[in-house]
Amino acid sequence: MSLKLELLTPELSLLIFALLVILLDLGIKQKKVLAGVSILGLLVSGGFVLTLWGRESASAFNGMFLVDPFALFFKLLFLIAAGLVILASQDYVSKFARFQGEYYALILISAIGMMLLATTGELISIYIALELSSISLYILTGFLKDPKSSEAGLKYLLLGAVASATLLYGMALVFGLTGKTRLTEIAQAIQTIPLTTLLDSPALLLGIILLACGFGFKIACVPFQMWVPDVYEGAPTPITAYLSVASKAAGFAVIARFFYTTFGVPDWLSLNWGILFASLSAITMTLGNVIAIAQTNIKRMLGYSSIAQAGYLMVGLAAVGVASMADTLGRSGLLFFLASYTLTNLGAFIAIIAISNKIDSDLIDDYTGMGSRAPLLALGLTLCLISLIGLPPTAGLIAKIYIFNAGVHYGLLWLVVIGVINSCISAYYYLGVVKVMWLGAPVSEEKVPSSWALRIVLALTCLGVLVLGIIPGKFVQIAETAVRIFTS
Amino acid sequence: MTLIGQFRDWLINFMPEWAAYIVAFLVGVVAIIAFVLVMIIVFIYLERRLIGRFQVRLGPNRCGPEGIFQLIADSIKLLTKEDIVPAKGDFWVHFLAPIVTFAPALMVFAVVPFHKGVVLTDLDVGILYVVAISSISVVGIYMAGWGSNNKYSLIAALRAVAQAISYELPVVMAAVGVILIAGSLSLSKIVEAQTIPFFLLQPLGFFIFLLGSMAEINRSPFDLLEAESEIVTGYNMEYSGMKFGLLYLSEYGHTLAASCIITTLFLGGWQGPLLPPFLWFLIKVLLVFFVFLWVRSTVPRLRVDQLMAFAWKCLLPMALINLLLIGAQVLWFPKALPWGMMVVNFAVAGILILLWSRLFALGGGRVEV
Amino acid sequence: MTVLDIVFWLLAVISIGAALAVVFLQNIFRAALFLVLCFFAVAGLFITLQADFLAVAQVLIYVGAISILIILAIMLTREMWRGNPGGRFQLPAFIIALGLFGVMVWAVINTSWQISAELPLVPTTAAIGSRLFGEGGLLLPLEIAAVLLLAAILGAIVLVREK
Repeated sequence: MSLKLELLTPELSLLIFALLVILLDLGIKQKKVLAGVSILGLLVSGGFVLTLWGRESASAFNGMFLVDPFALFFKLLFLIAAGLVILASQDYVSKFARFQGEYYALILISAIGMMLLATTGELISIYIALELSSISLYILTGFLKDPKSSEAGLKYLLLGAVASATLLYGMALVFGLTGKTRLTEIAQAIQTIPLTTLLDSPALLLGIILLACGFGFKIACVPFQMWVPDVYEGAPTPITAYLSVASKAAGFAVIARFFYTTFGVPDWLSLNWGILFASLSAITMTLGNVIAIAQTNIKRMLGYSSIAQAGYLMVGLAAVGVASMADTLGRSGLLFFLASYTLTNLGAFIAIIAISNKIDSDLIDDYTGMGSRAPLLALGLTLCLISLIGLPPTAGLIAKIYIFNAGVHYGLLWLVVIGVINSCISAYYYLGVVKVMWLGAPVSEEKVPSSWALRIVLALTCLGVLVLGIIPGKFVQIAETAVRIFTS
Repeated sequence: MTLIGQFRDWLINFMPEWAAYIVAFLVGVVAIIAFVLVMIIVFIYLERRLIGRFQVRLGPNRCGPEGIFQLIADSIKLLTKEDIVPAKGDFWVHFLAPIVTFAPALMVFAVVPFHKGVVLTDLDVGILYVVAISSISVVGIYMAGWGSNNKYSLIAALRAVAQAISYELPVVMAAVGVILIAGSLSLSKIVEAQTIPFFLLQPLGFFIFLLGSMAEINRSPFDLLEAESEIVTGYNMEYSGMKFGLLYLSEYGHTLAASCIITTLFLGGWQGPLLPPFLWFLIKVLLVFFVFLWVRSTVPRLRVDQLMAFAWKCLLPMALINLLLIGAQVLWFPKALPWGMMVVNFAVAGILILLWSRLFALGGGRVEV
Repeated sequence: MTVLDIVFWLLAVISIGAALAVVFLQNIFRAALFLVLCFFAVAGLFITLQADFLAVAQVLIYVGAISILIILAIMLTREMWRGNPGGRFQLPAFIIALGLFGVMVWAVINTSWQISAELPLVPTTAAIGSRLFGEGGLLLPLEIAAVLLLAAILGAIVLVREK
């Protein structure tokens, strides 16, 4: 049996570095080295991803482990997100003297889980990869061990367990109907079942709904969003950023692959879940935006905003479903939006980490006059918030145009109209923060200093947001390559 | 074909098939229960007499010739005692605990082969069944501790659980080494695979399994859950009469089961020259029990932290190394199995035990806090 | 009605009854013991399906390890004598659970399942082994599970140790 280990090199190398971090933590006093080793691991893993990029799509483990541009795109995205989060944690980790090695190792392991989630095409592997990424995140959420963080960790764990159970129910029903665990085989089995039998099988539809619920928890769409505000508020802020970005992207990756590969044919089935996601999308963005207006804590506000962003992203999913096999636009729009959202949201969180580290508060009111106290941080935050609204010259604008275009193209005009209205609503609270920062009178004249690590990361993300916004052509191309070749 | 199977086929001549199944099964069960009870009596008698010799005293020798009726006198005493349930205890839990503790000890014997074909059911998953079933008795001990509503009983129960979970791992891993060489989970097949007893092929595994089993059945020096000097007698403190008797029986039942399993896995079961197979089996079981006694009367009781450290820092890594070693040998050098393996494994076992004993030098070493 | 049917219904009633007892009993310790019983009955159901390895693994893992850890955790919980507190979400939770149950039963009954005509494999152990480790097997999820356990161990250490 040939294992084709070269296809697994990104994950394996990252795992080796994660183990290395744990072992080094035993002997090394200078804990900064651990962050360096973790970053090095991410770079090595990223290097392996790049060597696999551009090759023919291949699979290992009998089609369980799929290496196609789609998977590689997401792997790169998770690696970048994990790297930025680790850099952004530099100031934060000093808060816990012990367990720094475990902190970095868990971030890396969680990244491995997400990479596997984007790359597997088999029910059992998907479930275990999902658990791998989730369990690491549960722990990281409760890492501070103060009451708020513990509560957040526990809440996330309990609700996550319920979501997993729902997901497993869905998987069991789909497996029971088809007798297969590999996604492509399930798709074939569904096609061979006569239409009348299939229409008589409520188990398949129930399975799809339960699967959507289970994965919906991961991407935090309404009505599975209730964990978001508390968890985002209680978790260490870098982890909140990680949760809002990488974990969500992993959810979208697995949903896109799962539903597209498995339930893409016949057309009526595809249309069914397309409409399901379209309606969830409408509810999600509206609810997320409306509640976000009332928030006074910036982490909670960004939590609700990330729910709303999940709503926009689901427009892409809905387009994929409605368009069935014909589509590439919806998916590539989804990928581009995810890339831009990742950079933007990470940037916003990094700015918040830098500021709240010094002023020790997450309340929006305490951000008054930040424009004069910390002009660079405020500028970065402003840029990211503008990108979240979708205004020029940022990535957010292109991403929204792209994904809404896909929606209109496949007849989801009503959804796009709701999306545009929501963007206007969101402008209100995003710009509210901007207004407070630049126009409010500063509470004190004291400057807010920030460490070099945070500055570099913030600069990098802002640069990314601008580059994606001003010259998106190349990246749109990459996103389109990534979805064109879906191994089947 | 097992002996029970033959008996059943013979019975079918006289009665309907379903009745034959039931009768044959019942006969087998009764035979096993009889064997277990007789052996427990032998064990208890031997233990009291031998511990007496170890401690340079006589032991019970008044009741009957050489004191052989002592146990019967004790049983009568137990049976006539009043059955007391603590007023604030949980009646049903207190009531069921001895049964839940004793039943697994009996159930283990369903798969123990006494001779070729003499086994109640030759399960394909035999050894796994033994491990699974014997882990249930901890629930019984826990119920006893909880139902008694007594803090010492509860402490004993907590200790029992910690101990059972910790020692389960090395024991199972040592058993996996046996399974790898035998190529089967069935206990009969494992015995038949032993042209050379497995304790010669993997001495380290034998060592780990022996010590782990002693801890699992709570024999001294691992008998922390009834440590008289600390928690009176622990989980069975609030029991009297026949319920206490059952707890007492189950302790020896588990000891007997462990002796039988060690005999089957490592000492070649019923196999041996000259003497009839069943006698060989008995001799080996008694030999294992003698080793238990020997250790009991030689080594003082461990502290809780020492007990935990011994499982996690000593037995578990050793079991992992053993598993890796045996796996590599079975996979890559199947030809060199008997003799080459024996030499290598004895050397490895010696080195590892020496290394770890350095880490656990009691008394002489500096105590790190 | 064959013997197998009788055994199945017996085990089914025991497992569901025990599961209900877990939910409704006030005394958490007894609830945990009923959980043990429930796991046991499920192992019995596996045996009626000729899945002996699965049944033994069920007893080993769920009865021998998980439920004992649950009991241990209960012991270490402060104020456990207060019992199983009811919340104000009891009624809504009950209604939702009932609704989900109804939908499930409806879906399961109304679906035309594909039933395999193959006889159960005996013995199962070797088959499970080659399914897990052999060609075309489930090696990938198995290895991911190893990493998952590592993450869980790290988490246990981090969360349990004092600050």
